[in-house]
Amino acid sequence: MAADELTPGISRRNFLKGAGGAAAVTGLANRAVEASEAGEASVASGADGPLRGTLEIVLRINGHERPVQVEPRTTLLRALRERLDPALTGTKEVCNGGSCGACTVLLDGEVACACSVLAIDARGREITTVEGLVEKGEGLSPVQAALLEHDGVMCGFCTPGFTISLGALLDARPDAPEAAITEALAGNLCRCGTQPAVLAAARELSSGGAKSDQGGGR
Amino acid sequence: MTGSGADVDHSWPAVFERRLIGKRVPRVDGPAKLTGKAVYTQDVRLPRMAWGRLVPAPVAGGKVRVDLAPALAIEGVLGGIVLGETVRYLGQPVAALAAENSDLLEDGLAAVVVEVVEEGWALTREQSLAPDAPRVGRRGNRSGERTRGDGAAARRALAECAATIEGTWQMPIQHHLCLETHSAVVDYSGGESATVYLSTQGTYGSSFEAAEELGLKAAEVRLVCEHMGGGFGSKFDLGIEGLAACRLAKQLKRPVRVANSRRDEFLFAGNRSGSRQQIRLGANKGGHLRALVAEVERFGGIGRGSHPGLPYIYEVRESAVTSSSVHTSTDSSRAMRAPGHPQASFAMEGAVDLVAIELGLDPLLLRKRNLESEVYHRQLDRVAELIGWEQHAHRTSPASPAAGERSSGIGFAVSTWGGGGRPGARAEVRIERDGTVSVASASQDLGTGTRTHMAVVVAEALGLRVEDVSVHIGDSRLPRSVTSGGSVTSACLAPAVQDAASQARAEFLKHLGRVLDAPVGLLRLEDRRLLGPADWELPQLPAAGLDWGQACALLGSTGLSAQGEFQRELASSGVHGAQAARVEVDTGTGRVAIKEFACVQDCGLVLNRLAVESQIRGAIVQALSHGMLEERVVDGGLGLVLSADLMNYKAAVCAQVPEIHVELDQDQGRGVVGVGEPPVIPGVAAIANAIHNACGARLFETPFTPDRVLRALSAATGKDGGR
Ligand code: FES
Ligand code: FES
Repeated sequence: MAADELTPGISRRNFLKGAGGAAAVTGLANRAVEASEAGEASVASGADGPLRGTLEIVLRINGHERPVQVEPRTTLLRALRERLDPALTGTKEVCNGGSCGACTVLLDGEVACACSVLAIDARGREITTVEGLVEKGEGLSPVQAALLEHDGVMCGFCTPGFTISLGALLDARPDAPEAAITEALAGNLCRCGTQPAVLAAARELSSGGAKSDQGGGR
Repeated sequence: MTGSGADVDHSWPAVFERRLIGKRVPRVDGPAKLTGKAVYTQDVRLPRMAWGRLVPAPVAGGKVRVDLAPALAIEGVLGGIVLGETVRYLGQPVAALAAENSDLLEDGLAAVVVEVVEEGWALTREQSLAPDAPRVGRRGNRSGERTRGDGAAARRALAECAATIEGTWQMPIQHHLCLETHSAVVDYSGGESATVYLSTQGTYGSSFEAAEELGLKAAEVRLVCEHMGGGFGSKFDLGIEGLAACRLAKQLKRPVRVANSRRDEFLFAGNRSGSRQQIRLGANKGGHLRALVAEVERFGGIGRGSHPGLPYIYEVRESAVTSSSVHTSTDSSRAMRAPGHPQASFAMEGAVDLVAIELGLDPLLLRKRNLESEVYHRQLDRVAELIGWEQHAHRTSPASPAAGERSSGIGFAVSTWGGGGRPGARAEVRIERDGTVSVASASQDLGTGTRTHMAVVVAEALGLRVEDVSVHIGDSRLPRSVTSGGSVTSACLAPAVQDAASQARAEFLKHLGRVLDAPVGLLRLEDRRLLGPADWELPQLPAAGLDWGQACALLGSTGLSAQGEFQRELASSGVHGAQAARVEVDTGTGRVAIKEFACVQDCGLVLNRLAVESQIRGAIVQALSHGMLEERVVDGGLGLVLSADLMNYKAAVCAQVPEIHVELDQDQGRGVVGVGEPPVIPGVAAIANAIHNACGARLFETPFTPDRVLRALSAATGKDGGR
């Protein structure tokens, strides 16, 4: 698709001028231009409006290259849940503002809130979502299995986020102490109250943590 | 083949015979949720689906003019509707918009012009009760006034009491905070039928509302709620989200999804009503409560709010209580997990505790003196044991720590609830010729483990494993079920499932008896096998029996199905519970750390111990979150809600959650009782009582933030002449 088709009356040149003039969107514009110059697609912007139009980028998700049409402003969360076809809806949107952890994914092995990362910024990075934790399609990962056994899943809407956060912690620190566990999970909200069960699962998994009698599995 | 069931024994198996019922069974839908495969309403993706949202009013009351034209002019914005231009509360949805995707939708929402043409509102109690306040409630700003009891007699009785206390307990409006916001996807492109996906507590009931909104026959509308991300009382019906999705789908002739943003949830998706309870309570020397004079106000926004009445649980000889709703220009309260009860508990248990302190009595003892039921006595003794009350240094008067010291305290509170079943739920059990077994009902799983206990009941009856049974719920086309409210789901549904499973078993054995030429009464299902009598070889039935697959292969080509319905004798009603909290108060900073919780809850027949314990722990986490953190904050001057996001409305995370000991106090021989609600009731009160016990500071207002604790501490210190 050409830029002109997307936003009538704005040529690529105008877009570059317009975007350059708007400080707030400069960074975004540069990255979008970069993307479009890499031959992926074109985007356009009004003199001071947001960047408009879609571009096709390729994201590496759970080991697969996935082409996806996004706008420069499209977050990684929305790219995953809404733009990919078929969509990956395991990652949840709860606050869309970086304060609930339901959208937690791994970017190059580090936890990130997918609602607070632009899809275009996730290019070239290894994205892991909850769907990618199941090893080669064979059963649950140890974290998933422990959460199941301790009943750390109720309505389950927070669960993908907890699963990713806890998995990342234990990958980095297999013997994570209690304080590290609660810190790693400090950004994950659960309204059903699975926290005691999640903690029990975490303690059991981390060889450094004390065993707990909570959350079943006795 | 269909079960008839007239003379089938459907009673629960005896306790010693239960292989699965009452054991710890991991959730059957756990793996789907843990791997991201579970499809919630918000995860539904349909070809050509449009993305919609509601437009909240920017003003708390008055008249607005809505102009959708600038939004509709944006390429990619597909359509919109105006819902109304008279605004009764802040954030009331006045329009809805749909677009090709969520990014374009946001452009559209930003472009909608809502012009305020007339303004008038009251956001706080004071504004609402001011003489010149605009009318914000339908029947005035104070409504539903009523008095119970004889005021003069209660005041006389109060004057004769050996000890009297008084206080005004206040709780702000709080939120359900379902992680999945209210949402609907309506798959309707014109024509005679539709499928509606809804995040709901009432799969069956909501289908009729959707049909009405779409102008279709109820039988042509299928409502689906496979998984849902929390309801807590806020998702009983189609809702404004479902209504808007229906209308937009009709307008656009394509599927439409409407899902609230988090801010929308805080503005118009319901709340737990606030309360203000002015109480005077008196007792005789022995600690028997003799007189209560109280005034209760409920703050349910434009709604009524909830309160179960005072005295709450405890018996008081003479009482006079006035109650009313005070209305403000905020959204209507909705039922939330034991509506009104935590509020009543906070005040009543606080007042009871103050009486004990006034009399220098052990608060545990005073509670028992005023609670008739033996169950409470047993439960209070047990939670006291679990929390270490006997070893605690300050049992008859609060500790008086030096300034800056950290001090530990213990507090108690009790709860009660109905939670019984009622007619209305049905279930179907099918056994196919290939050995497949399924159970179906148009119920929903709110996170309580409905699917799992249905599988447990069927597997138990048929001698199978839990994983041998597939469960179908969340679809209005399945046998009808009840709306999940009042903790009734398990008590309504499990008896129906047990009835269906018992009939399926009877029918299965009868059929196989015929085919195998064996006396039915001698056949049994065990360990995934059909077995005959141990010492008796039947011509067609080997001594080792037939395995499940072989036995099912003998069914007719249509397999077997049995319908069950609610059976009163399989359910019970009425539960008690007691809780204790141990806290540590930092008297220098006013910070309170919850160290430990103990709960003893009676709950009738336990279907899945793991899920029941989780539900109880979850309720306690929610209660401590309400007590310590949660508050809707409004700016009455500016007419704004300041707490409409998760940065400013905090809820508990792992670091704040202590060890929670849960014991199920089962009464043998009872049927199923729901316990979703009762364990959320006593937590706030137990924490307040523990804080007082730790440092002498009485918290009359939630949440118990450090500033409130410090103020209460200085009030206590002032009264005692300084420490
Ligand atoms: S949705 Fe991303 S942190 Fe809440
Ligand atoms: S399990 Fe429901 S929000 Fe965590």
